[in-house]
Amino acid sequence: MKKVDHKKVLAERLSARFGRRAVLKGMGAGLLTAAASTGAPGIARAQQSGHLRIASIKVIDTLDPHFTGFLSAIQIINNIHNGLLKIAYDGTNVTFEPDLAETWDLEDEKTHVFKLRDGVMFHDGTPCNAEAVKFSLLRVKEGEPKSPHAWKLALLDEVEIVDDLTFKLHFSQPYAFLPVALNGSTGRAGTIVSPAAVQKYGADYGRNPVGTGPFKFVSWRENDAIELEANTEYFEEGMPKLERVTFVLMNEASTALAALMAGQIDGMTDCPMQLVDQVDAFPNATLYGEIEGNYTYVGMNCARAPFDDINLRRAVAWALDRETLVKQAYFGRAQQAYTPISPPMTDFFDPDIATSGRGQWFDLEKAKEFRAKAANQGEVEVTYMMAERGPVGTRVAQTVAPMLAQIGIKANLELIEPAAWVKRRNEGDFDLYDFEWVADLDPDETLYPEFRSDGAWNFGKWVNTDFDDLCAQAQVVLEPEARKELYYKAEDLLMDEAAIAIMAHMPIYKVFSNKVQGFEYIPADLVNLHTVSLA
Amino acid sequence: MWGQALGKIAQTLVVLFVVSVASFGLLKLAPGDPIQIMLGSEFSQEAYDSLTAELGLDQPFLAQYADWAVRFVQGDWGTSYVARTDIFTYAFKEALPVTLTLASFSLAFAILIGVPLGVLSAVKKDTAFDAGAAVLALTGTAFPSFLLGILLIWFFAVKMQLFPVMGYVSPWQDFWGGIYHMILPGLTLSTYFIAMITRLTRATLIEVMEQPYIAAARARGEPSWRVIWVHGVRNIAMPLVTILGLQLGVLLQGTVLTETVFNLPGIGQMLTSAVLGREYMVVQAGVMMTATLFIGVNLLVDLSYPFLDPRLRARK
Repeated sequence: MKKVDHKKVLAERLSARFGRRAVLKGMGAGLLTAAASTGAPGIARAQQSGHLRIASIKVIDTLDPHFTGFLSAIQIINNIHNGLLKIAYDGTNVTFEPDLAETWDLEDEKTHVFKLRDGVMFHDGTPCNAEAVKFSLLRVKEGEPKSPHAWKLALLDEVEIVDDLTFKLHFSQPYAFLPVALNGSTGRAGTIVSPAAVQKYGADYGRNPVGTGPFKFVSWRENDAIELEANTEYFEEGMPKLERVTFVLMNEASTALAALMAGQIDGMTDCPMQLVDQVDAFPNATLYGEIEGNYTYVGMNCARAPFDDINLRRAVAWALDRETLVKQAYFGRAQQAYTPISPPMTDFFDPDIATSGRGQWFDLEKAKEFRAKAANQGEVEVTYMMAERGPVGTRVAQTVAPMLAQIGIKANLELIEPAAWVKRRNEGDFDLYDFEWVADLDPDETLYPEFRSDGAWNFGKWVNTDFDDLCAQAQVVLEPEARKELYYKAEDLLMDEAAIAIMAHMPIYKVFSNKVQGFEYIPADLVNLHTVSLA
Repeated sequence: MWGQALGKIAQTLVVLFVVSVASFGLLKLAPGDPIQIMLGSEFSQEAYDSLTAELGLDQPFLAQYADWAVRFVQGDWGTSYVARTDIFTYAFKEALPVTLTLASFSLAFAILIGVPLGVLSAVKKDTAFDAGAAVLALTGTAFPSFLLGILLIWFFAVKMQLFPVMGYVSPWQDFWGGIYHMILPGLTLSTYFIAMITRLTRATLIEVMEQPYIAAARARGEPSWRVIWVHGVRNIAMPLVTILGLQLGVLLQGTVLTETVFNLPGIGQMLTSAVLGREYMVVQAGVMMTATLFIGVNLLVDLSYPFLDPRLRARK
């Protein structure tokens, strides 16, 4: 076997993923250097001013980063906590940059050495040191009750504390997904919480979060508002700029828009696609949004008739007119998808995918050919379960049904209540449904847990061990080009066997009134407010 | 009368028991599971099992119900599964006052607008005014309240900028601010009742005005305003109170949509999100509060008759 220079490979890989700006100062001297290691406490701080009111329209379950399953909660959590790393975006590339970590070095490809910023304190006055990081990581990995994010640290063998600010993470194998796992947002696993607060509040930590972030938690009134105030000791100099932030909890997006227009609130953490035209026409607000790391699909139940028939599945995959779907179901705002890997996965997304010949698209002739090969040549009657959930409710189902009729599949649309929908999806009690996987930044999290043969999220029960092997190999390959090849092969299997019929990559929108300045958009559904000020 | 009241209270307790069993059972029977909803899409079987055990949801139905009922009666309403909030604080101290404020405002609007409108329609029977009021009343009953709410928001709050779009301010802390925030939602919720009271007042008053004591009052030479507002209107109190008591359920239903449209953190919003999230204990708290409220108000209505009608007092 060829001898691999792990450090060199990883250094190249990290430099590719961590932004070309990060300068590599030789091996072993710290692969990453934080932009400027300020952060000594007691430094003169910027004056905070202004009270931002922003509507949060979706459900907030808990403000405990290690237990939430909702991006709307992470939007708030990420203003209270920091991760070891953070997501950065320069308008074209998504990169992962140090946040609480100051340097990140490698002893070998399985041992990562981190040095933390000096002098960072949690909001309760306890220090954010190596012990605190170890506590957080182990809380995710093996805490009770079990964190839903534990799988992200399953390969972590040991957290070894070197000194107060330095620690080593020993992994059982090289772990390419680590940058995503260790950042404070979609990773969640790498969000650092105050051990003292967890001990004090126990299961109620989610109502009393204590982090190191730019804002401190003040109060949470159910169905009403979550209040934050500036953390004047925040480690990034001159931040935050706001004195107070109120997340107004709302159920009705059109009321939020009315409140924005009347000036009663300053922004919305989420703007549903059907309201985007109205926002565009309103001169006093600015829309932020791009295609994010997601994909939507029509899922088929591969474990039972009729969609255990690969040719029938292929017929469905080629019969969906994506252009019409984008127009009618997604208000003309989404982008046609050919495979799951989405645009923000900078090193992996192929901008020319439309002409590459890879993936699935609309070709009725091809669909009919596959349909002719299907075992059942009579009319196939199936149940398509739908619910008023997701970004566009039942619109996808209603647009897809007539397309299926063209290839002799009669889809009976069954409208059920969202909780029942989740239960039936998880139990595999459906023929067809549509769903979306969102806020993914790495091909691993967008493919492997979703379609692994024995995966809990593989609702359609598609089984292909070659796919599993390719994804498992890609997890330990650190070099992006080689990793990309593996994921492309895995995707090709998934698309060819039509475990799903892929539809679109969606834009995710936020709105701010023009008084709000300095908002930095990141295509991972984040609402980071530390740079925001009010004019 | 007190014996009757005690009987009513005993009846109330039985009804509350039946209501609590029914709502607990129905929600449990509905497909869906709080843990699955709570874990979102990123769940794992270990996390699921661990949380289910943690929250006691692996216990049999009757054990869960008995556990809930015993604690509830003792004043321990439990903690919500997802948000870990104390349900007594959330439901009783935070949500209930909002809904009571909204309901009181709507009732006040309904009476203050509905009664005069009905009286004028009765007095000006078969005139253009009467016909106009009838059309308004019919529109009011037919118009869906949430649609009216959205229209009111767009016109009065967004275009004219006269009222706030949404939000709740407690009138106990800021009286005028509270009223200011309640005008649009109060009006939205009360349209149906304004219409109903107008029709009721009109019909009852027309009947009353044909009674001999009205003729007698007129014969005594009392001014016509006194005949109508003192001798006439007093007699509509009983049917009005009866109808309002019975329609309280409709009013409480209406708060669900009104609270959603105007983003008021009341029982309506609490129950909606609790049912969708299968927060069994929050739903129980909400159902028990509204049931108690409904039964309590109707009990008060029964007890109020002797005060409203001296003839019922004399009969004792």
